[in-house]
Amino acid sequence: MNMSRLLVAGSPGFLPPAARTLLEAKGYQLKVCEQLPEAVALVLEDPPDLLLLEKGFVGDGDQRLIKAVSGCLQKGNIPIILVLELTELETELDWGVYPVDDIVTLPLVPSLLLARLQLAEARMMRVFDNNPLSRLPGNTSILRAMQRVLASGNDYAVCYVDIDNFKPYNDRYGFSRGDEVILMVARIIVNVIEEKAREGSFIGHVGGDDYVFIIKAEKAEEVCRQIIDNFNMVRNLFLNAEDIAAGAFVGLDRRGQETRFPLLSISIAVVTTGEGRYRHSGEIAAAASQLKHYVKRLEGSNYLIERRDSCVSGQEMSAA
Amino acid sequence: MSPEQEQKREAIRKALREVKNLPTLPGIISKLTKMADDPDTTTEQMGRTISKDHILAAKLLKLVNSAFYGFPQRISSLSSAIILLGFNVIKSLIISASIFELMEDQDMELWEHSLGCAVVCNVLAKRLGVSDPEEVSTAGLIHDLGKVAIKMELPGESEQVSALVVSRQINRFEAERELLGLDHAEVGGWLAKSWNLPAKLVEPISCHHDPSLAKAEPLAAAIVHFADIVIRGMGYGHGPDIWVPALAPRAWELLRLKPVDIDEMLAEVEEKLWDVKGFSLDIKAEAQSATQVPKG
Repeated sequence: MNMSRLLVAGSPGFLPPAARTLLEAKGYQLKVCEQLPEAVALVLEDPPDLLLLEKGFVGDGDQRLIKAVSGCLQKGNIPIILVLELTELETELDWGVYPVDDIVTLPLVPSLLLARLQLAEARMMRVFDNNPLSRLPGNTSILRAMQRVLASGNDYAVCYVDIDNFKPYNDRYGFSRGDEVILMVARIIVNVIEEKAREGSFIGHVGGDDYVFIIKAEKAEEVCRQIIDNFNMVRNLFLNAEDIAAGAFVGLDRRGQETRFPLLSISIAVVTTGEGRYRHSGEIAAAASQLKHYVKRLEGSNYLIERRDSCVSGQEMSAA
Repeated sequence: MSPEQEQKREAIRKALREVKNLPTLPGIISKLTKMADDPDTTTEQMGRTISKDHILAAKLLKLVNSAFYGFPQRISSLSSAIILLGFNVIKSLIISASIFELMEDQDMELWEHSLGCAVVCNVLAKRLGVSDPEEVSTAGLIHDLGKVAIKMELPGESEQVSALVVSRQINRFEAERELLGLDHAEVGGWLAKSWNLPAKLVEPISCHHDPSLAKAEPLAAAIVHFADIVIRGMGYGHGPDIWVPALAPRAWELLRLKPVDIDEMLAEVEEKLWDVKGFSLDIKAEAQSATQVPKG
């Protein structure tokens, strides 16, 4: 039995009673919104699993709702099905303006609508190699993104992020606090890239406390700096007052001996792909791993960008 | 408390539990919408504007602390909330906040009072060397959340309270207790708690009339309590209730202020309040011009 929660956003009476009955009989939990603010609030506070959206919903409200859905980080891929008049397809729609997963036309045929919803869900499950915690794409997508960047021949920066002293943090604070830290870093990366380098970018979550993002090379320095600044601003919210005061926490090292660990910080190793330096994603990973080894030995949060002739590095500005 | 009073309290508690959306100022919404449409706007600038609206600030904190974003009861400062939610979510939040576009003079007054209280909290927290002054000013900004909730959810009762304030010449807090069996500080505290806001914010809200009740955050509660009184004394946001609440001895002990501290603090506050005044005049002017020009 399906348990999906379906948000229906459209003008009053847009979903025929017969369709509603069929969907509910199939286990969909429907929430019908006729007002934009109500629909957006719902997406923000309690995101649905699917969205059925009437084109032209309160003017350009349809596009604003789509934006709200795509900005919903906690549920990455909410499939969106757009409902429109067949005649609207005669002049082609700009799918860039309507980044939806599927369309159905009016008048709504209940059985067809059901099939489209089921297909959208099945498709989403298929392409979903996302990390269950951060909802960011996982390894398959990361490899694909790297190959795409290499094939383009343009200068991109492949950036590997990881959290320093994450394991002792997890041991001391417990898994659920550890998960919060992993989410925090994911959020920071996503939000900084959204703001500063959205175009052509990719963000993936390798797993645990390791992430990869790919952005245009010229943006690398600015983005790394901002990520580290933002991390420093929120980090203390995830630490206990006594650890902050002590500037360190005590945990067991790999050999089981009591050791003082510096507080959480992040390291970013950046490899640039320009001028055909690499042919395969494996080569990038190898170069990055060497770089990471070096950057992780530095104290505090740091990034290191390897370019053809030189390295650019940045130490954290201040931990204030 | 009599069983009748207890019953009434329970009914009110139930009504207020349902509060999901609080009203916010239309002026600030149009300002933020404009900022959101401008590609050069930074998150920081937007944060500064949001920090001037107590309702929007409360919504933002509610959202980032909801189970959905994965940081339950962790995030207490606006700048952190913005970093973690990101620009897009904030833009969407503005749309969902615009559901309430009706504001009355009373609310404008409350808004000025909240903003003023946040300013005093900030100055005081910095002076006392509190580790995160922004948190305390956020608590100051949203300390009267309960008033807004009562007005929205129980408009009839809220009017009765106002009438009682005038007829009996008592302050709002006492009138609420008499008529509703509870007060806005308590209501604000429930609401903040039900939104998963951290204790750093909940306690200063729920104890702002009696900071001796604060267990985890006595100093923050004392600062908000004192700031509330100072800003009322300066004439910000009294509504029909013109009485400045009494200062709790416990708060005074905790703050350990000397006369010279207060002189200096007041000078600093006065200066910062000019900004606030300017901002609220801005908003008023915008709200007026918005009502004159038909919406396109």
